[in-house]
Amino acid sequence: MANRAPVRTNNSALIAMIADEDTITGFLLAGVGNVDLRRKTNYLIVDSSLMAHVAAVVNTDFSPDEVVLETTVKQIEDAFKEFTTREDIAIVLISQYVANMIRFLVDSYNKPIPAILEIPSKDHPYDPAHDSVLSRVKYLFSAESVAGDRR
Amino acid sequence: MVSGENSEIQSSDKIVLELMDSMDSYLLFMNSLSSSLREGWLELASARHSMGASRISSALFDLKSHSAATTLQLNHQDAGPKSEESHFSLCKWASSESPKSCSEEAKFEEDKLLQKKSNSPKVLNQDGSSNSEVQEEVSEAPEATESPCTVEDQARKERLKSLSMFGVLVCPKLRAAQSSFETALETLVEVANKRADLLNAYDQMREKKESTTK
Repeated sequence: MANRAPVRTNNSALIAMIADEDTITGFLLAGVGNVDLRRKTNYLIVDSSLMAHVAAVVNTDFSPDEVVLETTVKQIEDAFKEFTTREDIAIVLISQYVANMIRFLVDSYNKPIPAILEIPSKDHPYDPAHDSVLSRVKYLFSAESVAGDRR
Repeated sequence: MVSGENSEIQSSDKIVLELMDSMDSYLLFMNSLSSSLREGWLELASARHSMGASRISSALFDLKSHSAATTLQLNHQDAGPKSEESHFSLCKWASSESPKSCSEEAKFEEDKLLQKKSNSPKVLNQDGSSNSEVQEEVSEAPEATESPCTVEDQARKERLKSLSMFGVLVCPKLRAAQSSFETALETLVEVANKRADLLNAYDQMREKKESTTK
């Protein structure tokens, strides 16, 4: 199908994705899919059934599939770390629901490139209150108002 | 003395306004992105309904080595206080054979072309010289290479290539989903640019705040 030589312009960069299957499918149809010579893709599909399972497990104390849960979150973490350190990636799209699972990593990331964009997913609409960038701004203003009150 | 204080207040007000403005635009673009994505998911679900779940699945993704047809162009110039400067621009459907052929003007022409295709999937040739089915175009790819490869031809070929991972005969809804996700991608680039502006204003404001507290 795609027998093109991987030649690109000097400034061109990729869009990486960590999202559910349908979102990835859609963006692959839009042409952002990239597979390198080592068969590494620029996306990670987070299985929605696993995500539901994770959500269910997080709310209970006991989990028989705890290993599965850990592996999944670890996979997401690893993919996030990989995409944010790759030099050929300019934007990392991450479903906000998935970003909530690795919130500590997403919030601590503060480089301009690659830019992390939290996008809505099919079952979870976008919530600005959870967005890491807007949270930072909110914190700045709340800290300022506290300082203002003290003065 | 008083004028110095006034200018200080004005500059800090300007930063706050820039921050608020970029935050507002960011949220508006996010809203628009949500709508495009919702549309795309619905069309994808319709396509899956008509083609069957096994025909549209991640198992069919192309895992052979290939480069992305749609990439980003990075603007390395430091935006600084000029928040209007965008950092990313989308380079849609650039073939590796002629990677420089993507342009903003061409992008709109491509969009128009896709609209035509999604509305009437049987009519393909935009100059009206011949009507052929979309699927035939795939098999007639060598013919297209003989003619001068315009941007539209190239975009059409690349679009068909990405659709062809789900088979040669695809549902028109899948084409519509492709169009919706392309729109979402354009909005995403706007979101990324607004995010950069927002962070720029945020940094300026934080610096200002730190300098006043010292």
